[in-house]
Amino acid sequence: MAREECKALLDGFNKTTACYHHLVLTVGGSADSQNLRQELQKTRQKAQELAVSTCARLTAVLRDRGLAADERVEFERLWVAFSGCLDLLEADMRRALELGAAFPLHAPRRPLVRTGVAGASSGVAARALSTRSLRLEAEGDFDVADLRELEREVLQVGEMIDNMEMKVNVPRWTVQARQAAGAELLSTVNAGPSSVVSVEERGGGCDPRKALAAILFGAVLLAAVALAVCVAKLS
Amino acid sequence: MAAGPAPPPGRPRAHMPHLTKMERVVVSMQDPDQGVKMRSQRLLVTVIPHAVTGSDVVQWLTQKFCISEEEALHLGAVLVQHGYIYPLRDPRSLVLRPDETPYRFQTPYFWTSTLWPAAELDYAIYLAKKNIRKQGTLADYEKECYDRLHTKISHAWDLVLMQAREQLRAAKQRRKGDRLVIACQEQTYWLVNRPPPGAPSVLEQGPGRGFCAASRVHMTKSADFYKQEIEYCRRALGRTRVKSSVCLEAYLSFCGQRGPHDPLVSGCLPSNPWISDNDAYWVMNAPTVAAPTKLRVERWAFSFRELLEDPVGRAHFMDFLGKEFSGENLSFWEACEELRYGAQAQVPTLVDAVYQQFLAPGAARWVNIDSRTMERTLEGLRQPHRYVLDDAQLHIYMLMKKDSYPRFLKSDMYKGLLAEAGIPLETKKRVFPFSWRPRHSSPSPALLPTAVEPTAAGGPGGGDGVA
Repeated sequence: MAREECKALLDGFNKTTACYHHLVLTVGGSADSQNLRQELQKTRQKAQELAVSTCARLTAVLRDRGLAADERVEFERLWVAFSGCLDLLEADMRRALELGAAFPLHAPRRPLVRTGVAGASSGVAARALSTRSLRLEAEGDFDVADLRELEREVLQVGEMIDNMEMKVNVPRWTVQARQAAGAELLSTVNAGPSSVVSVEERGGGCDPRKALAAILFGAVLLAAVALAVCVAKLS
Repeated sequence: MAAGPAPPPGRPRAHMPHLTKMERVVVSMQDPDQGVKMRSQRLLVTVIPHAVTGSDVVQWLTQKFCISEEEALHLGAVLVQHGYIYPLRDPRSLVLRPDETPYRFQTPYFWTSTLWPAAELDYAIYLAKKNIRKQGTLADYEKECYDRLHTKISHAWDLVLMQAREQLRAAKQRRKGDRLVIACQEQTYWLVNRPPPGAPSVLEQGPGRGFCAASRVHMTKSADFYKQEIEYCRRALGRTRVKSSVCLEAYLSFCGQRGPHDPLVSGCLPSNPWISDNDAYWVMNAPTVAAPTKLRVERWAFSFRELLEDPVGRAHFMDFLGKEFSGENLSFWEACEELRYGAQAQVPTLVDAVYQQFLAPGAARWVNIDSRTMERTLEGLRQPHRYVLDDAQLHIYMLMKKDSYPRFLKSDMYKGLLAEAGIPLETKKRVFPFSWRPRHSSPSPALLPTAVEPTAAGGPGGGDGVA
């Protein structure tokens, strides 16, 4: 059905945009490299493909005059979410262009900011492209051509947004989101344990002595329990 | 929505230049040879590189800019307050401690200049992510902001939650150390841009300032960019230019001329009312006063505009013109001013009255305007608006300025006024520093004056005196 298809496309687009956002965060930092720029390029191309297909689908549906009222409400909701997501993508692409131009990799004009992020981001890019793993090898001056491409693509996305607004008119105030405030707390079963661990880790600070003390205490406790068991057995 | 308002036409001005300067400092700190010394931060299992201590930062600043330690401390504190360096142990307090407390650099994406202004949608996504990670335990002000955002952008709430979940899932693909660092970076960014209540907002700007970020990248592929450049260059070519030697001389002569007349620079006689609580100065320099002070009369000689703007001066000038039988010029000028600044509804009647009185052939007070201006004015009178008499007014103004005004300054009348005008005596300074007279406080507007007529209580004239 059209609604399921649009929802699936929108979900895919949303995922790719989130991954792109996550990759753009590290441009200019210590994890910046030609590989990262190539991953960015692949991610944003995938995002643009998805955007074009979602846009075409949604526009076709919303311009159809014979649509039932409740279906129209549903599609307008999807439309608002899609256009917001596209705005986010465009903003991130602009920032990537700015940061990429400010921190060029081919000629070390500016040293990269040492932010502490050192790992590879291929996992994120693989998630964006929906593949199992990603192995990229970019040439030494990949970012030069990439910036020109990026500029063109930013303008293309801007044009797409303008066309969208021209073709379909959905006033934002008439759309009611389906999820209420705080709805994210209801489905956070799998996010629980890892977040608790990360909070603790961050609060733990850099104190190995605390860990040592904890291990010693545990050992002493075990020894005490063993002794108590032996005493109980003997008596 | 996340991109912010569209940039205004024309070349975007450099916005918040202090941020660019701070960024240059931060980037020079990154130099592998001459930058700040980096250490590693050791957490329970993970080791995260690129930590600096506060004392290292202060020392580097002292060495690099050859400044005192106090100044380096202040500069470092400014960097921390704007979020370019963030503390690792106590992330909520953005202060620079010159000891072993560890700090780290913020990623360029979260620099204030990249993401200015902070978007509501992004903040909503951040709060939703925090909500998910912390199972609903947000700080009070964050809960308030969350609810407020939900009311404001409730139509986009689906997008907010979708993006929040997806961004958290994307972050899981990174290793733990990177995840922690990125979370800290985002938290610092939002602490700077949406400070908790009570913390000073370092990004506050006065009204009328600040618009969207000036993009440092020129989008050379679009036609708009070149159109803007052409417009900018054309406007720049058309601007009149004055040599700085000329305008500085004019500025100096202006200051020299006006210096003795400025009450702040040269003191005011009889005494400064704010200090001595004696308002004789204001009484003597009221707009309409019978005997103007000498300084005031001298000011009329500075320029024609000064003379016309002073009501007393204008009255005397009108008398002088009356003696010279050219008073209709000033009356015409005054009538044009009334037209320009008067009510819109009166415009047609006023234009008619002015025409009948001053411009019609054979009018009672006919003003002498050259034929070309007269033709243009008569053309314009067919569709009267408030600026239709501007040309004629300007002509008469220049006539008065070039002709009558110099004669006025040389006339006996003016010389007489100058001789008559007195310099007020300075009030004797009290021996004791405080004044014996009790200071009068202004009457409170809550107290009704006792002298209200009982008959006019219900009429339109009632209620006077109450401010």
